[in-house]
Amino acid sequence: MGAKAIQTKQLGKRYGSFWALENCNISVPEGSVSALVGPNGAGKSTLLKLLTGLSTASTGDSLVLGSRPQQHEDFLSGIGYLAQEIPLYKSLDANAHIEMGKHLNKRFDKTFIAGRLHDLAIPLDRPVGKLSGGQRAQVALALALAKRPKLLLLDEPVAALDPLARHDFLSSLTQAVAEGGLTVVMSSHLLADLERVSDHVIVLAAGKTQLCDEIETVLHEHKLLVGPRDHAKELGEGVQIIHETHSAKQSTLLVRIAKGTKLAARWQQHEPNIEEIILAYMGQAKEGDAR
Amino acid sequence: MNWFVWRQHRKQFLIFGILLAAFAALLIPTGNHYWHAYQQALTNCAQHPAVYNCSDLTDTLFVGPSDGLIRIAEVLGTFGLPLLLGLFVGSPLLAKEYEEGTNKLAWTQSVSRRKWLTIKLAWVVGFALLYGIVLTLLATWWSHTLNTVALNRFVQGHFETQGLMPIAYSVFLTAVGFMASAWFRKTLLALAITFGVFVLCTASFANWIRPHYMTPVTVTAHMGPGTLDGKIPTNGVWVLSRDIVDKNGKAIGDIFPSAPPACQQIIRQAEVRGNGHGGIRVKAVPSPNGGDPIDDCLNKAGYHQVAKYQPAYRYWDFQRIEAGIYLGMTALAAGATYWFVLKRDA
Repeated sequence: MGAKAIQTKQLGKRYGSFWALENCNISVPEGSVSALVGPNGAGKSTLLKLLTGLSTASTGDSLVLGSRPQQHEDFLSGIGYLAQEIPLYKSLDANAHIEMGKHLNKRFDKTFIAGRLHDLAIPLDRPVGKLSGGQRAQVALALALAKRPKLLLLDEPVAALDPLARHDFLSSLTQAVAEGGLTVVMSSHLLADLERVSDHVIVLAAGKTQLCDEIETVLHEHKLLVGPRDHAKELGEGVQIIHETHSAKQSTLLVRIAKGTKLAARWQQHEPNIEEIILAYMGQAKEGDAR
Repeated sequence: MNWFVWRQHRKQFLIFGILLAAFAALLIPTGNHYWHAYQQALTNCAQHPAVYNCSDLTDTLFVGPSDGLIRIAEVLGTFGLPLLLGLFVGSPLLAKEYEEGTNKLAWTQSVSRRKWLTIKLAWVVGFALLYGIVLTLLATWWSHTLNTVALNRFVQGHFETQGLMPIAYSVFLTAVGFMASAWFRKTLLALAITFGVFVLCTASFANWIRPHYMTPVTVTAHMGPGTLDGKIPTNGVWVLSRDIVDKNGKAIGDIFPSAPPACQQIIRQAEVRGNGHGGIRVKAVPSPNGGDPIDDCLNKAGYHQVAKYQPAYRYWDFQRIEAGIYLGMTALAAGATYWFVLKRDA
């Protein structure tokens, strides 16, 4: 892969004595669509806010579009951000928001957003507080896209939407990505949706990065092994157990296998899907916490 | 950015414009009425010097039952309109952005937070300034008659409702609202703090801070009726204290216990003669020089009266000093707002 849109090194954020994010190392290639997943409180929102410059890191470093996140016009003009609560000025209509975008950005594609909201049949002259949740999300996404950002950071944008609105939103997003030149990082709990639109996955759990890679690679490297229970400890070098369950006679293991590692024949190999892998990583972090 | 601030807050600006207009609708006719009544009273007293005293018209003006109400409305309005501005423009402005998360929308457009805040502050503080100027022009013009009829303009209720002070209050309370909302990010809390600061400032400045802006003029007089009054100008001075002091210059609260035995005896005799209770002063046997024997005795013992006052001509100095203090505090509040907005996470 080529240049990186995001690169973080040991990034951490502490609130008082609580670490919302710790030792976060991710790297997001330009042009990719990354799914940022993790349980509640895993630090997803914290990470996205650090990347936009809305908050400052307690430790570590990050490079976003080649510079450190900051409250500077040049940096901000490359970023499109959609916060979790989908904030909009409730008493203002979509037209006023479009005007806001025009006045608050050097580069703002008014034709694009007007056309887009028109296509979506969103009334431009009604206060956005009176629009449906799906319409509001579309307005907010269109606003972020009309900035023509290089990097779009979305914090659980579909969480509050019904399945149809979710589908529409993701279609809009896919369409924008298809037009090219856009890198997207989107957090969500809805794993199935993410698989549909993204090619990279970042798993955060317990404030730490558990996984950050291309989905294809992830699928390739992970196997679900079923074999006799006693042999669970004899997997050898190059095999990392992510998650294990045992019955009386046999063990089921989700493992990450380094390239070129050969497995003993007594293990039955299955291909796990991305959802299973992600869940395994989240479960691992949870056990790690409990220990 | 300018367009957007205007678009976002024009409704508030309009509402406060209307409030100001309503206040003007009360002040302009009543102010006119009082001015004419005053001119009428001047003519009357010139024509009937036996009935009216031209140097003291306070008995003939502002004595009707509605006059009191109008005066109260004027004071409440001149105090209250800057307060309302602080409460409903200054306080919610940033707090609402934080509460609804729209600060995250605004701060991820291509405008730096510093610029965003500067333009917002400039608009709102500029509006407060304009608003304060209109308010004080109205209130000061209205108070003209009252001032002419020899009033002390230094005290609470008069000082803050004229001159530079309504401007200072408008700007200061707006800035306090801004700071409190950037600090606590909650509209209600910011409202409460702005209100608290208002109460604290109005109470403490009038009673504890304002008297000390300039060294008061001190006058002394012998013991005796009216001797001290004769030395204090009558027009618009602010009398801070009147004391009876002994020969060491120490202020005496109750004369009797500290008076020399000779004087105590005279006082006691006077009380008996008057069948009086403690403290009642009765003319005793006239002393050889025609004065009150008690006063004479106290004068001989070195007692005298001392008054401290701020002369009326210092009024504008006081206005400038106090308004200056408020503007200084406004600058501090604005600086703190920058710190809260720029240095803290969204």
